[in-house]
Amino acid sequence: MIVRNYIRSFVSIFILTLSLNSLADGASPTSQVKSTVNGILDVLSEKSLTTDARREKIHKLLNSRFYFRAMSQRTLARNWKKATTEQQKEFIGLFSDLLRNTYVGRIEAYTDQRIEYLREKIKNAKRSIVYTQIVTSSADIPITYKLAKKGNEWLIYDVIIEKVSLISNYRSSYASIIKREGMDHLLEKMKEKLKTADAS
Amino acid sequence: MKLIRLISCTLLISTLSLTQKISIAAPDVSATTSNHFFLAKNATPTEIEEDFSDDEDEIIVSDPFESINRKIFSFNDTAYVYILKPIARGFRAVIPEKGRVAVNNFFSNLLSPVRIANAAMQLKGEDATNEIVRLIVNSTLGLGGLFDVAKNDFKIKIKKEDFGQTLGHYKVANGPYIVIPFLGPSTIRDGVGLLVDGTAFDPVSYIYDDETGRYVLVKLIDIENTISLDQDTYEAIKKDSLDPYLFLRNSYIQHRAGVVEN
Repeated sequence: MIVRNYIRSFVSIFILTLSLNSLADGASPTSQVKSTVNGILDVLSEKSLTTDARREKIHKLLNSRFYFRAMSQRTLARNWKKATTEQQKEFIGLFSDLLRNTYVGRIEAYTDQRIEYLREKIKNAKRSIVYTQIVTSSADIPITYKLAKKGNEWLIYDVIIEKVSLISNYRSSYASIIKREGMDHLLEKMKEKLKTADAS
Repeated sequence: MKLIRLISCTLLISTLSLTQKISIAAPDVSATTSNHFFLAKNATPTEIEEDFSDDEDEIIVSDPFESINRKIFSFNDTAYVYILKPIARGFRAVIPEKGRVAVNNFFSNLLSPVRIANAAMQLKGEDATNEIVRLIVNSTLGLGGLFDVAKNDFKIKIKKEDFGQTLGHYKVANGPYIVIPFLGPSTIRDGVGLLVDGTAFDPVSYIYDDETGRYVLVKLIDIENTISLDQDTYEAIKKDSLDPYLFLRNSYIQHRAGVVEN
């Protein structure tokens, strides 16, 4: 009897420390991705929301989950250092909006499909990868998330759809535009794009 | 018909060997030529403590035919928006999704020889076997390929292999990027792949060997059906990207590099 009690208290202490530990470490990469995707789907399915309110909610959600600064930096790559602090700041703002539109648009297109969380790979203390797939009636679409640890939270810094990295894609097309027309022109083009996207 | 295909095939192969030399020479000159551009490999910023340079895959796109490619791209865009897509919408309206999935399965099953042959040529024994099993199971239990019984009941998933991938597997470079009228993004290597698969391994080309009209019609049905099942991917790309041509070019190259790798 005493032994059993002892074991019980030992187990509960063990569980307690475990849960405290996981609290301190923040959520796992997979649960982080899951809550992001589910959060977006929830917002999208809330029919009562106005367009602005919906956008605001998604904005907030993704701001806390996406590592927009790192994404911007990786997108501009060598052009990042060449840009002025002002330009960097402006780029982060515009790029975050564009990325949000693209990502949410893609998730929205597959709202009715099942999403499977396949596995996660923690590469080191600062990097992890979460493999998911969207199961549609005719094909499985692999979507992989790359996460980096910031503080004690895993933040998404790249989304790879069908082996195509969004960031890498933006990087190459933006590099061409910068090369041809310059940084300021790129920022102008981004502004225009956002305006037409808002209008539609 | 066969002769024409053969000639165009050899023509493309000879262009390939030529362009391969170009792409091998490319790394030395690329930084200064506008035809080739590279993604920065070491973008190590000083402003942020985090270093992402471990993650910057270098992707090389050679696009010496960009001005022609862009013209074909905009032609394809028009064809897609005003012809292909409206027909696909018609498919959507007339045939329920289940039916279109069955049609998709049927064509996919029909093209099994392409996947079997290419898996075998890459010495991927397990993949080749899986595709043979899939072909047998789906052709019989799946009622001539209409149902993907192999995937649903036996958990054997399709693994796409084509001759472009086979060439890539044996380290043949992409060569220049090309946009094929109606078919879209490709490279010289993958274009050759399409021709080889289409003439040597695609049963449809044997069935309609001397009937080009019917051959095209069958392919068109396949393509339209595929578009009808797609969730407006192209429209999304066009809407979201600053330069859809560049976005698609990079997507294509990345996607192909990914499928060649595994």
